[in-house]
Amino acid sequence: MTRLALERVTFRYPATEAPALLDVSLEVTGGEVVALVGSIGAGASTLLLVAADLAPRVVGGRLEGRVAFDGEGVRGIVLPTPWTQLSGMAFTVWDEVAFGPANLGLARDEITRRVDRAIARLGIEGLVSREPTTLSGGELQRVIIAGILAMQPGLLLLDEPTAELDPIGARSLWELVRALAREGTAILVATSDLDALPAVADRVAWLDRGRLQAIGSADLLGSEALVAASLGPTVANVWHGARLPSPYPVSVAQALQRWEQR
Amino acid sequence: MTRLHPFTLLAIAAALPALAWILPAPAGGLAMAVVALALALTTGVFRTAVFTAAPFWLFLLLLHDVPTTVAIGLRITTMVSSFVWVVAALPPPRLVEAMVAAGWSASAAYVFAATLSAVPVLRARAGRIADAQRCRGLSPRGGPVQRLRALRALATPLILSALHEVDERALALETRRLVPGTRRTPLAPPSDHAVERVTRWALAAACAAALAWRLR
Amino acid sequence: MGATVTSTLRFDRVSFSYGAVQALSDVSFALDSGERVALLGRNGAGKSTLLRLVTGLARPRVGTVWVGDWDTRDATPDRLARRVGSVFQHADQQLFARTLEDDVAFGPRAIGLAPAEVASRVARALAALELGEHVREHPYDLPPALRKLAALAGALALEPALLVLDEPTAGLDRALRERVNRALLERSAAGAAVLVITHDLTFAAESLDRALVLDRGRLARDSSLPGLLGEGAGGGGGGALEALGLLPPPVASLSAALALPGRPIRAADAARALARVAGGESRHLD
Repeated sequence: MTRLALERVTFRYPATEAPALLDVSLEVTGGEVVALVGSIGAGASTLLLVAADLAPRVVGGRLEGRVAFDGEGVRGIVLPTPWTQLSGMAFTVWDEVAFGPANLGLARDEITRRVDRAIARLGIEGLVSREPTTLSGGELQRVIIAGILAMQPGLLLLDEPTAELDPIGARSLWELVRALAREGTAILVATSDLDALPAVADRVAWLDRGRLQAIGSADLLGSEALVAASLGPTVANVWHGARLPSPYPVSVAQALQRWEQR
Repeated sequence: MTRLHPFTLLAIAAALPALAWILPAPAGGLAMAVVALALALTTGVFRTAVFTAAPFWLFLLLLHDVPTTVAIGLRITTMVSSFVWVVAALPPPRLVEAMVAAGWSASAAYVFAATLSAVPVLRARAGRIADAQRCRGLSPRGGPVQRLRALRALATPLILSALHEVDERALALETRRLVPGTRRTPLAPPSDHAVERVTRWALAAACAAALAWRLR
Repeated sequence: MGATVTSTLRFDRVSFSYGAVQALSDVSFALDSGERVALLGRNGAGKSTLLRLVTGLARPRVGTVWVGDWDTRDATPDRLARRVGSVFQHADQQLFARTLEDDVAFGPRAIGLAPAEVASRVARALAALELGEHVREHPYDLPPALRKLAALAGALALEPALLVLDEPTAGLDRALRERVNRALLERSAAGAAVLVITHDLTFAAESLDRALVLDRGRLARDSSLPGLLGEGAGGGGGGALEALGLLPPPVASLSAALALPGRPIRAADAARALARVAGGESRHLD
């Protein structure tokens, strides 16, 4: 089974004294969705790069501690800026999605199978013949995600995957994330879409200035500490504002349940 | 013409100027220039070729007598026309596919790809930046100082944002496994026929023979 | 003698197409001074096109776009900058000056204001977004989120009659979103009309009062924001919002689920209502 383990990882970017990650230990296994939350600059993106084996290998910098990855399939990362992730070597969206699988040296028919499936899952059938450079931000984000899915990653790393999507597109994406987890993919996602997390994340990890402050179930989002750090979902904030006791409900459903029980 | 293999196109684009310089002027230069211009005509870049070569002719006329001008001018025209033709006839992605399919230096293909992936994005962004600056009051009119300042408002953000993204592009290509040592499955490998391979070798041989003949 | 008060922005039966694709059809609405309006709709509904028409980057094929008493057909974008301050998506990519201060000053200088006036407008804009400590820094040394605020400061510094923003809160955390909210409130209190394209319905609920919803190029809704969001939050009306590509934001859903009196759509209002129902007083929601 796929397993990613960070053991006491400290990471510094090149020519930087202050560590971007400090003594972080985290484990993600196949079938679960772990969400990283934190304020901007807390280190979530860096953690994803380390997990993807891109830091320090490609990015440079110094890493202490250990990163262990066991499992089949590649580690695929989707960065938050879709336009920087185009290959530049594809005339059509289909070719763009096929770029990754082609680089894996798979047979033609296997590539076709994977690409068609990824395209269907992201609902971008209508875009297959379009030139990638003519796509809008949201369309591009879906194409890039499809391109990574077509590589059938064992570990999927997502950095703000809904940044360019409209609300309905975001909802579809979160549903896809859950479906992928059900199929056994290990998923680590950094997001500021706190309201969506209770329905998506099995565990939530709170990063603050490079340190892992807390990790727990999605209910962690309703804890006093996170709400005070402006990392609570809207429902929790309202509960807090009403001076009702913590831990606060993290979703409308949970709020309703608690309300009816009072 | 564009259905020819990228390497064939490159071979032709290299052979024409080579032969223009090797073969005796002005006949050699004239023959090659005619071929190069004809190719440019077929891809619709005839005017580009002519207008790009024209300044060179003027320059030569200032420095040399007429026969020398013609001799050198025809050779330069061949070079310019071949270059303009190959840029129009060969989309870079096809060339990179061909390089990768042929197992050529994956590192070179890598660098190519990273650069290529930026070009269309930057072109679109240049337009958006121009729009944004106009909406901040940047006027398209004005004297040279104004225009220089305008250029700065347009070029600087483009360059800075591009530089800032270089790292991300490299990371994206890495994660999609375009790394040195990749054995990539060609998706639409440009088809290469024996005829074309023979032609390429023949062109190279012709250049070598012409050179040997001139040097004897 | 009363002069007719012209709206700050008026669309008069405007249609626009990109070649064969009809982007906007027969759109009419008016924005007056001090209004704060959300422009909503799914991706591709025509919001960006509308923005281009407001800024003069595009001219309507049919109908007229009025910015005050100017017909956009008679004005270029740089001239319209005297009345319209706009911030497009990914504005963090448009900065270029050597210091933050210089970049924010670009707009005011370009529209021809005197140096003293430029300086005071820049100072006010930077203060409104709490960017004072970064004035001497190079824009690209700031993280993307602060660069976005810098671009907004540039538009605020024009002190325009109309502010048009495209996804101003994308990539911003709660604290920064609050800064944007406060700055917009301040500008509209000073008389500016504010039009914001956004997918962030929570931000819209907190900051804006009125909603224009585009659906396939047509203006499908022109109503108050509470009215619109209340439509979808309750059990029955959910389909209406979703058909427009919108989802009710959490506060609206919570209000409906708990049947809070007044169906508040703002977090602070919901907290107060909740506290009242639960008995006790609410604390100030920061």
